[in-house]
Amino acid sequence: MLEVVNLTAGYDGVPVLHDVSLNIGEGELIGLLGANNAGKSTLINCLSGTLPARSGRLLFQGVDFTRMQAHEVVELGIIQVPEGRLVFPQMSVRENLLMGGISRRARKGRARAIERALELFPKLKERYSQPAGTLSGGEQQMLAIGRGLVAGAKFLMLDEPSLGLSPRFVQIIFQNIKQLHQEGLTILLVEQNLSLTLAHASRCYVIERGRIVVQGTSAEIKDDPRTRKAYLGL
Amino acid sequence: MDMLLQALAQGLLMGGTYGMVALGMGLIYGVSSIVNFSHGDFLSLGMFLCFSLYAAFALDPYVSLVFVFPALAALGALVYRFLIRPIVGNHLLMIIQLTLGLSFLLQNGLLMVYGGQPLRTPSFMESKLLILGDVVVRMPLVIAFAASIGMAGMLYFVLTRTDLGRSIRAVQQNAKAAALMGVNVSRVQLLTFAFGIALLAVAAVLLLPGTPIHPNQGMRYTVITLMTVVLGGMSNFAGILLGGLVIGLAEAIGTIYVSGVSGMILPYFIFVLIMLFRPAGLLERQG
Repeated sequence: MLEVVNLTAGYDGVPVLHDVSLNIGEGELIGLLGANNAGKSTLINCLSGTLPARSGRLLFQGVDFTRMQAHEVVELGIIQVPEGRLVFPQMSVRENLLMGGISRRARKGRARAIERALELFPKLKERYSQPAGTLSGGEQQMLAIGRGLVAGAKFLMLDEPSLGLSPRFVQIIFQNIKQLHQEGLTILLVEQNLSLTLAHASRCYVIERGRIVVQGTSAEIKDDPRTRKAYLGL
Repeated sequence: MDMLLQALAQGLLMGGTYGMVALGMGLIYGVSSIVNFSHGDFLSLGMFLCFSLYAAFALDPYVSLVFVFPALAALGALVYRFLIRPIVGNHLLMIIQLTLGLSFLLQNGLLMVYGGQPLRTPSFMESKLLILGDVVVRMPLVIAFAASIGMAGMLYFVLTRTDLGRSIRAVQQNAKAAALMGVNVSRVQLLTFAFGIALLAVAAVLLLPGTPIHPNQGMRYTVITLMTVVLGGMSNFAGILLGGLVIGLAEAIGTIYVSGVSGMILPYFIFVLIMLFRPAGLLERQG
């Protein structure tokens, strides 16, 4: 479904990703692992079109979207739930969800999609008219994922969903992610939390200093000594 | 007492228009992080365009709005697209320099074309008065207030009830998240800038009847607008409108009791006072 071919990218002339290639099949839940600043968010931002690629190609269902701008990428169905949630703080939960469906493609089924998101996250119904900035971290994460669903994601990228959440909320969020996957959503999970990701993803890529150093099934990754090295520098 | 009531009436009415103009500047700032130091000069340009339309076709300013609004909107879009967008993201000082330079360009351009003498643009409204008890106000001022409040109301509706308005607020609150939702952020920024400038056409038409214009007036309006926006907490809708009323009142009261230039000091004095005690803005939560 999604193909990354020899992607090189960086900020202000400093390359962060070097020749990264990966492959995600439809319906898979893939993990992207790596330590801080390994290049995980950089990769996700390239996929979203918020960071231009220096070289390489990005393909989605056969369509080359390397040069597309962020709002065009959203129209393809590639949706990012960003690190830190990035909800619109002074807009209500309702308005945040409405914004999720702002793209042309999502606007048609928006009301129904919002209902679905509220079914999945009943907590949001309670807070429907509250400004999103007043929600707890876990609730904001639910809102951010809900927003992504309203956007009609065919391919959902989650950047560090467990960051800053209490263990209880991490459990809830990951249960929801599992459920979405079981319903057929293709997911790329970027996480520092090794064990959680290995428990949910079928395959993983490990990225270290901008390069893919290990890839394989979760079982293979778990036992691979290079994974530990990539995380702890040992 | 009469004088005070007169000043209050005049100040409130004028303040409404200041508020509307400031909303435009506040919107631009919120969406693009640009402080437009040429804002008042575009207002000035609008007034001079109305003058020319009168000189050439005997058009009343209120009628000229039909032409000046799209003209300023188009000009705003061009300025944003070719002058401002290339340097967005750079140091704030660069953007300030650009808009200041634009201000000088406009002022001197107007000076070149129209000369330095104050010019009057006749309007059928200019000598009409509204008399309420002991208070006499010029009709154009009443119209200006009504129109400004109307525009503000419309703007509020668009911002809170339409997808376009929500997109604008979204870009203001978190541009990256807005982009991830599918909002074309640079298009929103361009449209907002063009609209903020076009709003000045409305203000120009409202303020013109009975007011002599000269090319250097722009800076005065820019400063008033800036103060209003800052009083409003930079992006607080109601705060900015309230700020407009405060500045309008301060100006009117100042000039009624102390004639001439010294009277104009009151708004600045009040501004500094308010900033000392409520630095985040009139209606913002402090700290």
